[in-house]
Amino acid sequence: MKELKNCFARSFSHIYVEEGVEEAPLTKEILKKFPKAVKVRIKHYKDVFCRPRQNFFVQESSRKLIIAAKNWELLYRGPDVCHSFGNENFYYTSPALNCVYSCDYCYLKGMYPSANLVIFVNVEDFFKEIEDLIRQKPIYLSISYDTDLLALERIAPLCTTWIEFARWKEDLKLEIRTKSANYSAISSLAPACNVILAWTLSPDEVIKKYEKNAPPLDLRLKNIKRAIGDGWNVRLCFDPVLYFEKWEAAYENLISRTFSVIPADKVKDASIGVFRIPRDYLKRMRRNSPPSEIIHYPYTEREEVYTYDEKIKRELTEKVWSLLKKHIPEDKIFIL
Amino acid sequence: MIFVVTAYHAEAKPIIEYFGLKKVLKNSRFEVFAGREIALVESGPGVIASACATSFLLTEYKARDKDIALNIGIAGAKNSNLRKGEAILCHKIIYNDTKRAFYPDIIVKHDMKEGVLETFNFPVVKEDFPLELMEGDIADMEGAGFFEAASFFLPPHGVHCIKVVSDYLERAVEPSFVSDIIGKNLPLIEGFMSSLETIHRFIPKGLSENEEEIIDKLAENLRLTFTMTHQLKNLMLFYLSKNESLPGELYDFLNIKANSKSEGKVYFERIKKLLC
Repeated sequence: MKELKNCFARSFSHIYVEEGVEEAPLTKEILKKFPKAVKVRIKHYKDVFCRPRQNFFVQESSRKLIIAAKNWELLYRGPDVCHSFGNENFYYTSPALNCVYSCDYCYLKGMYPSANLVIFVNVEDFFKEIEDLIRQKPIYLSISYDTDLLALERIAPLCTTWIEFARWKEDLKLEIRTKSANYSAISSLAPACNVILAWTLSPDEVIKKYEKNAPPLDLRLKNIKRAIGDGWNVRLCFDPVLYFEKWEAAYENLISRTFSVIPADKVKDASIGVFRIPRDYLKRMRRNSPPSEIIHYPYTEREEVYTYDEKIKRELTEKVWSLLKKHIPEDKIFIL
Repeated sequence: MIFVVTAYHAEAKPIIEYFGLKKVLKNSRFEVFAGREIALVESGPGVIASACATSFLLTEYKARDKDIALNIGIAGAKNSNLRKGEAILCHKIIYNDTKRAFYPDIIVKHDMKEGVLETFNFPVVKEDFPLELMEGDIADMEGAGFFEAASFFLPPHGVHCIKVVSDYLERAVEPSFVSDIIGKNLPLIEGFMSSLETIHRFIPKGLSENEEEIIDKLAENLRLTFTMTHQLKNLMLFYLSKNESLPGELYDFLNIKANSKSEGKVYFERIKKLLC
């Protein structure tokens, strides 16, 4: 395996820059961080991102960066497979596509044709669309579903930019979902009361086996503790909850460790969601994937979504819920 | 398998000699030379010729995802910052005629210089062609045709153009010089090939050919439907994610012939239990 590692070019060895964004301040800021990267000019990000027959699993070992502008469909309605946390106008947006972590179960492997990372630098266009929308109604907006923005913060300070944009906007509630241990990249900011930092937590067994490159549980918990201490709204996401041998003990351990570090009364809320994935995404993931306990598990299909059968789903949810409610009031636990 | 496409024999000659390829004696439109792991085709000059020869070779040898296709040849450089005799790994290939661009995935480390190749429908000679109209660093007459054709068969990390700078867009180049400069770069190119092969060798695959055959046989013998066959494949992968090899009991089912679909369904349920 060492031989294999030595063969791969380092990640971001090549940076593809879309015509028209070369002079954008964020492009320049990103490029400054990769002085040795080969820069390749492209017409449109999809010319690279959407090429046919790309192998996601090969590309994951040598990801490239694409810097581009997104010109239409900047906001999407929140999908049914995601938590709205009781918010009425639930939207999400993707300031970046793909993630630096390689979680086996991640739907991005089935959603995108490429493992390369796209960063959209026309942040102002996103902001304009949001401003137009919040003039009509208050919205709840998740900005880190199809990526992990906080993990990218040292490359492109998008969390900082978005937090500063959202600050003082009463009709905008922002969620930044992450697995990263990169809180220090935004720790100098004053907490914004309408921004939620949402950490995904998994048992150590899951992190070691299925969340390649993602920080260990201890580091995530330390980051959460700091963020709470600084006054941020923090959400804990036990999502996806996975079914594997000795899962019960693993989740018992996860939750007891979590609340041995984090003051439960300071947690804004928590979510539980068992593994679920749109049918077409899983089909695509199965096409190129090596044998995987997650990807090839014989799931049950319900309304074009694959998940565990009802009995397992119920067992997983009830167990995690019963563990969580020992620490967090029931009305703060959201189940999907 | 590594597929190599060259335009001229002068480009192919050093490759044939270096890798000990033998002429394939088969009546075909193209000259093909092959060894155990490498097959080379001489396309002749031009985009269409290159695309045709590439398609021919990859079809003839039943190209699969883990194969590699390389277009190796000479190119003229726009600027003298690229040295004569230097091999350029192209990270962008533009077809001058349509302005369409192609992008190989450069996923392995290599010791070549990188650059942009522009493929023209005519020989580019600097006295006759305003160089400010040329977007690429180097010019040839095949790369884009090869790349587009090979991309129908292979993933973008397995398709590459490697061009050796032969001139600065002047007129004819001596064949012996072409062979010489290509030959000198072959150790470098071989290193690149071997890195790509290593990746393909180590990247875990789905099912082996033998396991695929087991599926085909079970599907036929047990009269499995398309959906059941698909489920069987998935279950085998699930089982292999937790075990080194398939369970011995599965092989017993190979000797069974179902007389009806409903009987096959009963056996299928038993296999499912075995693999879950």
